[in-house]
Amino acid sequence: MTTAAVLRYDAVSDAYVQMEDLARHLEALLFLAPRPLPADELAAACAAEASAVRQSLVELQSEYGPGRHGMALAEVGGGFTFRVESDCEAVVRRLTGSRAEEELSPALLETLSVAAYLQPTTRAEVAQVRGVSSEWALAALVERGLIEESGRADTPGAPILYRTTPRFLKLFGLRALTDLPPMAEFALSAGDVEEIRTRLVANAARRSP
Amino acid sequence: MSRPLAARSSIAPAVDLDVDLDVFVGPFDLLVTLILKDEVDLWEVRVSHIIAEYVVRLAETGQFDLESTSQFVVLIAALLEMKSRLLADDETGGELEELDAAEAGEELLAGLVRYSQYKGAAGALRELWSRHANRLYRQVGLPARFLHAGDMNTRLAPELLARGLAPLLREPAVPDVSHIADLAVTLVRELRRLRALLAESGPLTFASVAPRDRLEKAITFFALLELHSRGEVTLDQRHAFGEIKITPLGSRPALADAAG
Repeated sequence: MTTAAVLRYDAVSDAYVQMEDLARHLEALLFLAPRPLPADELAAACAAEASAVRQSLVELQSEYGPGRHGMALAEVGGGFTFRVESDCEAVVRRLTGSRAEEELSPALLETLSVAAYLQPTTRAEVAQVRGVSSEWALAALVERGLIEESGRADTPGAPILYRTTPRFLKLFGLRALTDLPPMAEFALSAGDVEEIRTRLVANAARRSP
Repeated sequence: MSRPLAARSSIAPAVDLDVDLDVFVGPFDLLVTLILKDEVDLWEVRVSHIIAEYVVRLAETGQFDLESTSQFVVLIAALLEMKSRLLADDETGGELEELDAAEAGEELLAGLVRYSQYKGAAGALRELWSRHANRLYRQVGLPARFLHAGDMNTRLAPELLARGLAPLLREPAVPDVSHIADLAVTLVRELRRLRALLAESGPLTFASVAPRDRLEKAITFFALLELHSRGEVTLDQRHAFGEIKITPLGSRPALADAAG
């Protein structure tokens, strides 16, 4: 890449520094892109090495870092995209009138967590974990674009499989599914398990004659 | 009936029946033996078909042997049990197998632990959601070429549009609802009927005035409650599901007339 003739003001060093052509190309692509663009797609469009693109993206991210512009460069939903800075959102909403996302009920969040961690998963599997029928919750999540059908399982009855959507990643601020907090974080402690066991035994004793 | 089939397999079954199935043609006794030896797949055997053939044979011969019929019923029951276990196993992963209390407890515990884990994950998702769901991302509208609806107009002949629309404008046939009966009793009519009955013959029981039909009975009951709430009658029921006695409050006839 040739060095660029464009200067940008760097507040940290209090000086004008040059911005590389590649970074400017990426900026142009991201300005127009309707969805988060993955690094490899950006590299292909710029006909540049993936490593160089990565480096330029880092440069762009510091250029569009928090508190510098009205928007920041975010890595979310499997790619890079511009996002309005939190403190500017109110102004934008005044213009566009865009509505806030409707809250997710506890039942929907629970169903979504099972679907997200077990995906691709079936209705029966979700119901088994939750202990209640989850047909309605799955349908509601599909309607809200958080999960989608992804074929059918190769088991008797060929049940529909569900997986999360790119919109799910975006709304939860995740770069990829691997960004989901590890399941181990939510494992119960041995003490908690013992407590449940004690409660179960107590219940059983009460019920048996 | 639910004794394991194997325990009886040494007893020679005395069921005299020839069956004709897709997978097997011959004596029923032989079929049972083959199923027990796994030489005929129980999946493929239509048990209902065997029963039908047996019943037809009984009707035809008119000979009813209690001993042999009992034997047949026991064998069929065992086959059905085996088959339903096969089917159930397939869908629930053998959940129907009887667990002892300790095993059941452990399974329940494992289920609860698993559930709590996902509940924790749901909590983490809620946290992420509250931080990210309402962020505003770059949005791009439809490309300009899709916004030019004018292009479409010039290319589509009006006749084509008319032909396309015609089927949509046709009035659909009115569905036949003649099989849906009108509600025979209305609340107003029932109120009138009850008032007339009460004025005529004084205290009554619910059973004596309620119609047969469940829905109509419900409306009568509803009307009764209405009369009670208007203070026209007192209701008295000594025990649950017992007789309901309806006594008109003669002192307030004016109210009944006004409400009627």
